[in-house]
Amino acid sequence: MSMNVPKLLIAGAVALTAGVATAQPLPVPIPLPTPPPDGTPPPTDGTPPPTDGTTPTDAPPPVDQPPPPVDQPPPLGAPPPIESITEVPASEPPPPPIDLPELLLAPSGAMLPAGVIYSRSGVDTSGGLSSDMRFGLGDVAEFGVAVTDLIRGREASGLTPRRLAPFYTATFRMGLAEDRLFRHQPALALGFRKSFEYEADNHRARIAELHLAASGHVGTRTTVHLNGSFWDASVETGDEGAVLLHDQGLGRQFRVGGGVAVRAVEDADILIDYAWMPEFCFTCSAPNRTRLRPILSWGVRYDLASWAQLQSGVRVPDIGDANLLDAQIFGQLTLINRSIERVVDRQRRR
Amino acid sequence: MRSALYLSLAVSLGGPGAIRVAHADDQAPAPLRQRRATAAEIFAGPFRSPRLFAMPVADVVGAYQLSLSGDASLLQEPGILTAAGVAAIGFGDVAQIEYRHTSAVGIGDIEAPIPAVGVQLQAPFRERPWVPAVAIAFRLGVPRRETIADQPVDESVTDLYLVTRLRLRGPLTGVTLHTGARVSSAKIVRPGLDAAGTAKRLMVLPTFGLDLAASDSARAIAEIGLAPQFRFDPAVDAAPQVDYGLLGRVGVRWAALPAVVLDASIGYQLEVARGQPADGLESFVQWDIRVGGEVFVPWGAIACRLTGGFCESRE
Repeated sequence: MSMNVPKLLIAGAVALTAGVATAQPLPVPIPLPTPPPDGTPPPTDGTPPPTDGTTPTDAPPPVDQPPPPVDQPPPLGAPPPIESITEVPASEPPPPPIDLPELLLAPSGAMLPAGVIYSRSGVDTSGGLSSDMRFGLGDVAEFGVAVTDLIRGREASGLTPRRLAPFYTATFRMGLAEDRLFRHQPALALGFRKSFEYEADNHRARIAELHLAASGHVGTRTTVHLNGSFWDASVETGDEGAVLLHDQGLGRQFRVGGGVAVRAVEDADILIDYAWMPEFCFTCSAPNRTRLRPILSWGVRYDLASWAQLQSGVRVPDIGDANLLDAQIFGQLTLINRSIERVVDRQRRR
Repeated sequence: MRSALYLSLAVSLGGPGAIRVAHADDQAPAPLRQRRATAAEIFAGPFRSPRLFAMPVADVVGAYQLSLSGDASLLQEPGILTAAGVAAIGFGDVAQIEYRHTSAVGIGDIEAPIPAVGVQLQAPFRERPWVPAVAIAFRLGVPRRETIADQPVDESVTDLYLVTRLRLRGPLTGVTLHTGARVSSAKIVRPGLDAAGTAKRLMVLPTFGLDLAASDSARAIAEIGLAPQFRFDPAVDAAPQVDYGLLGRVGVRWAALPAVVLDASIGYQLEVARGQPADGLESFVQWDIRVGGEVFVPWGAIACRLTGGFCESRE
């Protein structure tokens, strides 16, 4: 058996090589130009050198030579005309890079192109796990589902908040690309995010957010993002009725956020963003049952490849209280799949 | 909701002219029913969708075609996947027979799907500028049982729709208006009880839709309309009631391929009669996100290609 292995390897290598070789086009004999007797260098376009000492541009057209044969079938086994080889269409140019639909936490005005699948998964030093997956619809909308670890709740006002996870959400956004309506028009996105019901320890909670986000390029390296969000939440404990955030008035629902992205080097961005998240207090009075808390994040996004990015930075969930002790260091991996986009584009071009 | 409509309009104004896939022109050719047609030619369309999201439009599925569509939401009712679907088969470019889950507002303040079968007829007039297309749709409701506080109730809705479609022209090319009225007979019955356990109501419910070309393959769509709403709370009143509810959706339909359309939307429902004070536009937790799709099957062209039947006579 051990004797057969090298033979099999050799036979396999020969067969593989033969297969690869037969898949290649046959070599085309290219006639080498004959150097002129006067020692001048031959022309590079393959035309025979003149013999009367004139330059090719000065040469009169030949009149006594018979015309070259035309329309003669090539002999059997001859290689195809070289034109048919060189007419192979050039490979498609790579698609333009994608403006992502979110910074670190804050939504951006950019929309995923049609058919693009985007996913972002992250982990932080507090043990939180998050994931977000979205799908671009027709260049004007996107749908996604996510699980977030940023929503927190506390039993009473004096207690330390704890993470409510996993908190599942779904997102639908529709919007306009930058410069679509007029020059310098920022990219605009109207997004709606709503959670599935979270239930634990006799508590039930849901959140919803409606945001309008705008993103615009300033210069060649900087992108500015701004958003306004309306939040809503429903909290139930035991058999008591739901306490709703929208009963507390618009002032408790509306918040402004945003951020900046600067392309610091060829393949990395520096990001800063300011976002909001609800925090629950299950036994507090109704006006304090749900509070919106600001989160400040900063970090770096590094382009690993056209389909992968790595993000890392610092997140301060209690920036409203100037509490830096509970800051988290996070890492996120963003993957972009454009297979469906390519298939759709190919089908559409047919 | 208002800002969503504004953005939809902006999306449309920024887009190119009319697109051909999701709602093709009436004079557009049908999929090839020829023996030598390739699969690409068969599925190249164009195909016409008979609906926006929930609202029927003055179009029917083309002849020798089948439309399978559906949508689903995990958010509408916590922990439960609510889904609705339509299967429609076209006849002669003027009619279709369909089986669907129609929309109504259930007792639990949710948009409850109720099974129904129906027929939709499109007026066979040639399309002219500024003259709306007209269609009429009849949906026969099938009773659906719901249990509220251990009390079973049977709900059914039978609808007669009259819908029109007007394609705007000039600077508003790409914008299509849909209007209609839904004459709805809604009934809720508590089995085993006499007339006191039954509520029945005939309602006239206006509907309105806007359909905008947002890109060469996507349309932004908004629809709003009244719908019957069933109310029954045995702790408050033993008699069930039928009332008015408002349903609205804003979203996008994207023809990824001519025969495959994906859609996603956000929806809102608002009680307009004896509604709870807490329910208002700012009550986002009552909104939901729905994702759906529609697949067109040109069965006539496929049968022609495979068996030689149903081919076009001019071949």
